[in-house]
Amino acid sequence: MAKLLVVDDESNIRLLYAQELSDEGYEVVTAASAVDAVEKLQAETFDLAVLDIKLKNESGIDLLQKIVKERHSLPVILCTAFSCYKDDFSAWLADGYVVKSSDMQELKDEIKRVLTKKQKAVG
Amino acid sequence: MDWECCWSKEEIVPEACPYIGEGEEDLYTSHRRRVVEKCAECPRFKNDLARMKGMDNPLAEVVPYILTEFQEQKSQMGVMLSFLNSRTREIKFLREVGLVLQTSMDIDEVLSVAMTAITAGKGFGMNRAFLLMTDKERRYIRGYLGVGPRDYEEAWRTWDDIGRSNFTLKELAKNFQKTKLSSEKVKFHDILNQLTVPLSDQGHIFNRALRTKKPILVENALNNPDLDRGLARILGVDCFLVMPLISRNRRIGIIIADNCITHKPITLQDMQSLETFAFPVAFALERASLYERLQEEVEKQKGANLKLREQQELIVKMEKMALVGKITSSIAHSIRNPLMVIGGFARTLLKGSPEDDKRRGYLESIVRETRQLEDVLSEVLDYSESLFPVMDLWDLNELVMTNLDDVAPSLEQVGIRARTLLAPDIPRVRIDYKQISYCVRTIIGTAMVAMEKGGDLTVETALEGDDVLVRISDSGAPLTESAQEALTAPFFVTQEMGTGVGLSLCKTILERHGSSFSITNPPGGGNVYAIRLSTKGEYLHGEAACS
Repeated sequence: MAKLLVVDDESNIRLLYAQELSDEGYEVVTAASAVDAVEKLQAETFDLAVLDIKLKNESGIDLLQKIVKERHSLPVILCTAFSCYKDDFSAWLADGYVVKSSDMQELKDEIKRVLTKKQKAVG
Repeated sequence: MDWECCWSKEEIVPEACPYIGEGEEDLYTSHRRRVVEKCAECPRFKNDLARMKGMDNPLAEVVPYILTEFQEQKSQMGVMLSFLNSRTREIKFLREVGLVLQTSMDIDEVLSVAMTAITAGKGFGMNRAFLLMTDKERRYIRGYLGVGPRDYEEAWRTWDDIGRSNFTLKELAKNFQKTKLSSEKVKFHDILNQLTVPLSDQGHIFNRALRTKKPILVENALNNPDLDRGLARILGVDCFLVMPLISRNRRIGIIIADNCITHKPITLQDMQSLETFAFPVAFALERASLYERLQEEVEKQKGANLKLREQQELIVKMEKMALVGKITSSIAHSIRNPLMVIGGFARTLLKGSPEDDKRRGYLESIVRETRQLEDVLSEVLDYSESLFPVMDLWDLNELVMTNLDDVAPSLEQVGIRARTLLAPDIPRVRIDYKQISYCVRTIIGTAMVAMEKGGDLTVETALEGDDVLVRISDSGAPLTESAQEALTAPFFVTQEMGTGVGLSLCKTILERHGSSFSITNPPGGGNVYAIRLSTKGEYLHGEAACS
């Protein structure tokens, strides 16, 4: 069972992620801030991280760069309310990019695609 | 006494005096005028005087003295009258020309009046005139305009035409400006081209005239040892007048006038008259050329103001657009998140509810309406994003210089000498300015690492076919092939550059621009990083950013 870290500052969204992604068979750990996420990344091992870009007083892009630098084997998907970051090269470090939607199928498909790609690369 | 001449008769009949002509009939009855105008010079009267002398008349000795004196005085009076008439004509002419010169701001009108006045019979009547003017930089005096006939045939035709017309000088000048000015400029092109003289050539006759502020009458030019014979050969005459045009101590130009067709000698009086005329011409020419320059400046100013206004409008527009961007960004965050929660949970509930649950309809409505709101929101946001096109046409020379200027202090600090070899007039390329700037900065950063102890950095641009090339060369230690590979491999993070991914991100950026990126080691040492951007290339927009 793949273990996912979901980072979003909105509690309801964290709850929704946890519910929907658990239903898909993933083990979901949520973090409300970049600091919280870094602590969890140091304490546990994850297969994939889903990051929001706009966090309270923090940037998901900075967190992404930190992850790429320190744990570049961990795939990251950006899930954000903004479609404009797709063309911003600072977001290209991520393995996937999804615009937030009430229909979470796209995110679920992207998670599956990235995890499959990672498994292929490893094995 | 019966005298041979009629001097003693009060009245005479027509046959009495053969010297009274048609229109002078009143002299038959006017005794006093007849004696003064006719008898005083009449050979018959001289015969009568001789007879008187024989008769011992004492008056016969004295009258010839009086007559000689009278005739001398009369002749002097004639000369003075002719001089007076000529001066009156000149003043009238100068007044006419002066009026135009004082009021005209049009350099062509001033030239037409001046040159017509010099060459027209009603003016100074010279055959030909050349105007030479000092250039804007005040380094050379150059031939500007020649007026007059080139040969006898043309002279005959022109003078015949003018002779038959009854134009005033002003009308002649106007006619000249309208019909002949442009063609005259071309007609003497060959001569005018040879009349260029540097103002520093102090010995040249033009500069002598300008320095002394006096006209120079050149006679027998071909045999004059003080004069360059070349000038006489160019003009084709050996007698000409060089008239300086000076206004408020400023050297405006030179007028050369000659009688190349009639070869009539140029008199001292011609020279003095032209000298009087030269001052208003110089003043008018200076004023007209200053006015022309002022007009040019005004036009430039107008252009600059227009550009400024356009820029201001653009700034206002951009500010408004930035505001729109901020608002939409805020909407995106404030609306999409709650919509996701509402719709997302509705879907979760729907998944878990039994097929026959009456509340499924309500949940389906929530899901449907949320989806609709999300679609509308996407449309609005897509529109607002389209207001900020990322890809635009940019001048790579400008981009290179801006980035190089930004890193100049850092380069200086580590002792790196930067130089640029930018190709002029390279076409603009469609790029994302921010991204290509990032690439240039990253490459310079990589080069700096390779030259920790200083060196030479060269940034070149060149046009090769349809591509614009940006080549950045360093004099640092050459990178090995494996190091090059590692530098451009995805997420290679040994160098702390920018976002920390250095050249690998540059490679991705350039690939998405449809461009190529290469690192080579030239035989002389160092590394050459080359970016090749196509002027016809299309940005691979919309490809999965992160796949």
